[in-house]
Amino acid sequence: MTMTDGIKRRDFLKVLGVSGAGATLSGCGPGDVEKLIPYVVAPDEITPGVATWYTTVCGSCSAQCGMWVRTREGRAVKVEGNPNHPVSQGGLCSKGHASLQHLYNPDRFAGPMIREGDHLRQGTWAEAEQLLAAKVRAASGVLFVSGGVGPSMDSLIGEFVTAVGGTRVEYDAVSDAALQEAARMVYGASGLPRYDIAQSRLLLSFGNDFIESGSSPVAHNKGLAKMSSVDDHQSKGRFIYLGARLSTTGLNADEWIPIRPGSEAAVALGMASVIAEDASAAGPYADVLRSYSPATAAAAAGVSEDAIRELAERFASEGPSLAMGPGAGANHRGATAAHVAVMILNHVAGNAGRTVHYDAGVTAAASSYAEMESAVSAMAAGQVGVAIIHGANPAYTMPAASGFRAAFEQVGFKVSFASAMDETAAMADLILPDRHFLEAWGDSMPRAGVMAIQQPVMQAVPHFDSKQSGDVLLAVATQLGSDLGSATFYEYLRARHMAMHDTGDFEATWQAALHAGAVEHDMPMGGMSEMRAPDAALSFDPPVFDAGGDLVLVVHPSPRFGAGEFSNSPWMQELPDPVSKITWHSWLEMNPHTAEQRGIREGDIVTVSSSHGAVDVPIWLYPGIREDSVALAMGGGHTDMGRWATGQGVNVMDLLPSESEQLSGGLVTLATTVSVSPTGERRRIATIAGSDDQHDRPIAPAVALAELGHAAEAEHEEDGHEEFKELQGAGGFVPVPSGGGAATAFPLEGTQHGPYADAHEGPRWGMAIDLDKCTGCSACVTACQSENNVPWVGEGQVLMGRDMNWVRIERYYEHIDATQAGDLDVRFLPMICQHCGNAPCEPVCPVFATYHTPEGVNAQIYNRCVGTRYCANNCPYKVRVFNWYRYTDENVPEPMNWQWNPDVTVRTNGVMEKCSFCMQRVRDAENRAALEEGRAVRDGDIVTACQQSCPAEAIVFGNIRDPNSRVSQIVSSERTYRVLDELINTQPAVNYLKKVTFHEVVSGGHE
Amino acid sequence: MKKHWLIGGLAGVFALTGLAFVQGGGTQPSAAAGGTTLSSAVQPIAFPHNQHAGSEPGQGKMDCQFCHFSAERSVDAGIPSVATCWGCHQLIPGANNPQEVAKIKEYLDAGEGIPWVRIYKVSDHVHFPHMRHVNAGLTCQQCHGEIQTMQVLEPPNRGIVGKLLLPQDPVWGGDNMGWCVECHRQPNESGVQQASTDCAVCHY
Repeated sequence: MTMTDGIKRRDFLKVLGVSGAGATLSGCGPGDVEKLIPYVVAPDEITPGVATWYTTVCGSCSAQCGMWVRTREGRAVKVEGNPNHPVSQGGLCSKGHASLQHLYNPDRFAGPMIREGDHLRQGTWAEAEQLLAAKVRAASGVLFVSGGVGPSMDSLIGEFVTAVGGTRVEYDAVSDAALQEAARMVYGASGLPRYDIAQSRLLLSFGNDFIESGSSPVAHNKGLAKMSSVDDHQSKGRFIYLGARLSTTGLNADEWIPIRPGSEAAVALGMASVIAEDASAAGPYADVLRSYSPATAAAAAGVSEDAIRELAERFASEGPSLAMGPGAGANHRGATAAHVAVMILNHVAGNAGRTVHYDAGVTAAASSYAEMESAVSAMAAGQVGVAIIHGANPAYTMPAASGFRAAFEQVGFKVSFASAMDETAAMADLILPDRHFLEAWGDSMPRAGVMAIQQPVMQAVPHFDSKQSGDVLLAVATQLGSDLGSATFYEYLRARHMAMHDTGDFEATWQAALHAGAVEHDMPMGGMSEMRAPDAALSFDPPVFDAGGDLVLVVHPSPRFGAGEFSNSPWMQELPDPVSKITWHSWLEMNPHTAEQRGIREGDIVTVSSSHGAVDVPIWLYPGIREDSVALAMGGGHTDMGRWATGQGVNVMDLLPSESEQLSGGLVTLATTVSVSPTGERRRIATIAGSDDQHDRPIAPAVALAELGHAAEAEHEEDGHEEFKELQGAGGFVPVPSGGGAATAFPLEGTQHGPYADAHEGPRWGMAIDLDKCTGCSACVTACQSENNVPWVGEGQVLMGRDMNWVRIERYYEHIDATQAGDLDVRFLPMICQHCGNAPCEPVCPVFATYHTPEGVNAQIYNRCVGTRYCANNCPYKVRVFNWYRYTDENVPEPMNWQWNPDVTVRTNGVMEKCSFCMQRVRDAENRAALEEGRAVRDGDIVTACQQSCPAEAIVFGNIRDPNSRVSQIVSSERTYRVLDELINTQPAVNYLKKVTFHEVVSGGHE
Repeated sequence: MKKHWLIGGLAGVFALTGLAFVQGGGTQPSAAAGGTTLSSAVQPIAFPHNQHAGSEPGQGKMDCQFCHFSAERSVDAGIPSVATCWGCHQLIPGANNPQEVAKIKEYLDAGEGIPWVRIYKVSDHVHFPHMRHVNAGLTCQQCHGEIQTMQVLEPPNRGIVGKLLLPQDPVWGGDNMGWCVECHRQPNESGVQQASTDCAVCHY
């Protein structure tokens, strides 16, 4: 029987519908009735169905970005960057977005845990606090290890440690200790230098991955995008990366000088010797400068002398310039000296006080690894009776060679404030689960003069009996007979701020700070620009690496996991790494030439061994790393960190020596050589990358700076498209003549969008994405996942190509050469549903589940979708993703589902989905405009989740039909193009602006 | 053509099986409650909408939005907190059913919400903004029926079987898109369709 033979398709569906209804009803007995539970007493600030926003501070890392949190019915459902924050200015990184998954993490402790033999038993807070007080009272030595905390908590910990007569060690796995020490030594600065990246025209990064780690990745990302994107005067700043491996930061550079690892000091001084006409310009460092030249620098770095000389000349002439010293991924045995060398370079080029300021006291991560080493010795020697660990996980983040685990075992009573299980808490005798920062009070001082309050945005998640550490310390201190002046941490915090407050009404200032998110005080800026003589011996020679292998091991914080503290989040695990596009597992980066010489292929599992340990890890071939180096990211290989992190990947700390840099005391990460030997086994890489090469298709084209303004006439899309075919009702494909074809022309002449389209002159929603600004950081990917209830699928499903992110950051290599200094051209392209005006997915849907709205959006109606997947097959952009399983209910344990956005349908299996242009935000803006002001939406009312999050401000959404809207203005640029449009006539609503290069574009151009 | 009948027949068997189950499950609570209807038996408190909102002598004439407080400013109409109920009822012990009114105090003292059985629901994949409809001038009754005259709200008959065989709700059709669209399609004063029928207006 065919469908046309006697029974029509609709009748067939009706028959099926009746039998289906019977089956459905039988599953809905009276026991399944849905309940409506009212509040007992309704809170004033909550209106059901209306979002309440709170301002707070992201406590995920020491950058302390400003945050806005959207709550619904008392639950935090989305975090966003706070545009009023003076440092982060509205951006937020992926890790910040994923803080919700740590808040609702099912692996958090249910309450205080007390060890009884081999297992942990849940106790009460009173019992736990009494136990801690008793142990501290009886102990001979108390050690308090704390990670990065806000100033008030820092002060309270200090007072507590003094009260109990203990010792305190501040420890963060990744720190800027070397930079801080160099700034202190040379300029007498107390904090980290403040970089004015946006103001510089020539930026040099000596292996500093400033958009991924460091003092303020989001602010630096914003600065980089501003500085390196083309401005109205058709000029752009140049970014040059010097380092052994290209990080996400490095991939954004215009030029790459692949210097030998550890040769930063030699290069910086060689350059400074060219710039300074007289070595005495370097003040107390004149003698140092005299012994360096471009020749010595070239020899140390393994690049040509001309390259160094030419770079130095440009650095002096193309100012204002800025050089940044080695970051956490290049912290070697001479790191402090390298920073001093970069400071000399900045000084002779006149950048001190211009693009780099040593006045601002930018908060550094708590740092000293050297103190941690002494603490390990003290523990091993039995001198510590009680060890308290707060905000740190040394059992995982310290190299295995440090002996921390064995020493920690020696401690009589081990206490952890971890809110969820980690490797250190697993060894503890008492666990006092801390509140998540979204449930707790706190404060932050991202730099001198900026104070921001961290306020709880919701009541503590009721599944977990947690308590703010500050409250616990105050209670325990009271039991020990020390009155620290406040009963709760909230009082302590307010009292401290009241004491700092000078004039006027404190309450008003406090409320204003809570409302705006940050208060900026006037601080005397400028000042320190004279260099001082070093107070310790500095050696600028390249550092030595531990023997044991023939390849230098580059160890860097992961852009997704940091040093491992963010690993137990499925969003972070499934976020494709911005560089490799690999999800879930670890990989070793190796240059393809090196691999070829050794007969190693991508996916081969190799044993990486140093003189300190060995790990087995698959190979990923990366042309962005020197042939004499390999790289491995931190954050994998957890043994005790919850269901998503445990067992994923390898811990690179197993390969490192336990050694601190002599001057700064920071952990040395660029320290050892390794040997790499194949195990003979292979695995498939769980990557989302299709191809690294555009194969000369105009997907992410670029335009040379010199061509701007000239090529406009020839390339701009003004002429019409060919006639195209469109499905009209049941009439099949009908050729439609189409005039125009410009982005603003919608609907196209002659098109019909089916029986559901109203005839009205509404907006056409469109988007502009500026590829000259996009840095590939992937914050938008996680923001979208959070906003739109996009599920994660797990490593096995990713291997089958079933990853479900609505945003995919494509990364294409155009020119990348690890053997010599030269132009670098790597293109990032955020690929989302293009909302084609002539969408290939629409005519193939048998049930009209995907269709075009009158507002120009390619909509996907989940309840109509029957899952044929024809649309995904026909999508040239591969942006449609399919729910193969019930990812949303089987994968999401309580209370992780509390994060779901109630404004977006949670999809189940058998349903296709894709970017909706944040339809719920469009509707919300329309509703609010109509309700509150009785008007239609205005330009700027609607901000999509990706746009809100983007630190680079590369994404703009709006009505493309309105010639005055921001998106229309941007789209009128001569750089505008639409992906594949000229080939397949899809007429997308997403308009990209070409990346602008300094060099001539030879391939991948829009020819 | 024979297969055509086979499919129809099988579907019929399924439908009848399903129906028998529903009726069997549905009648039991009614019998247990001694002749009261299904919904009044399952509501935790026998709440009479007519007594509160009706305009007959002796009835409260309350505005719907006194209790359903967020209907004009939120997607959700809102249900009153227990404290809202008790705010009035601490002074009004209830002439007809004081034992039912007393239950409010029990919930309040226990600090528990009253577990009302939900009567009106659109599917999870539908977004119905109450405020847009209220502000467009619709009355509550246009969708929910003459609630102010009802002592007991009957659950709407869901699914095709329920619609065919059980008594119909005269107004409510929120589980049927055609009912929504019919109103959206009506012309406004200037003769054009009064509300959008674009799928993505409600489904996203």
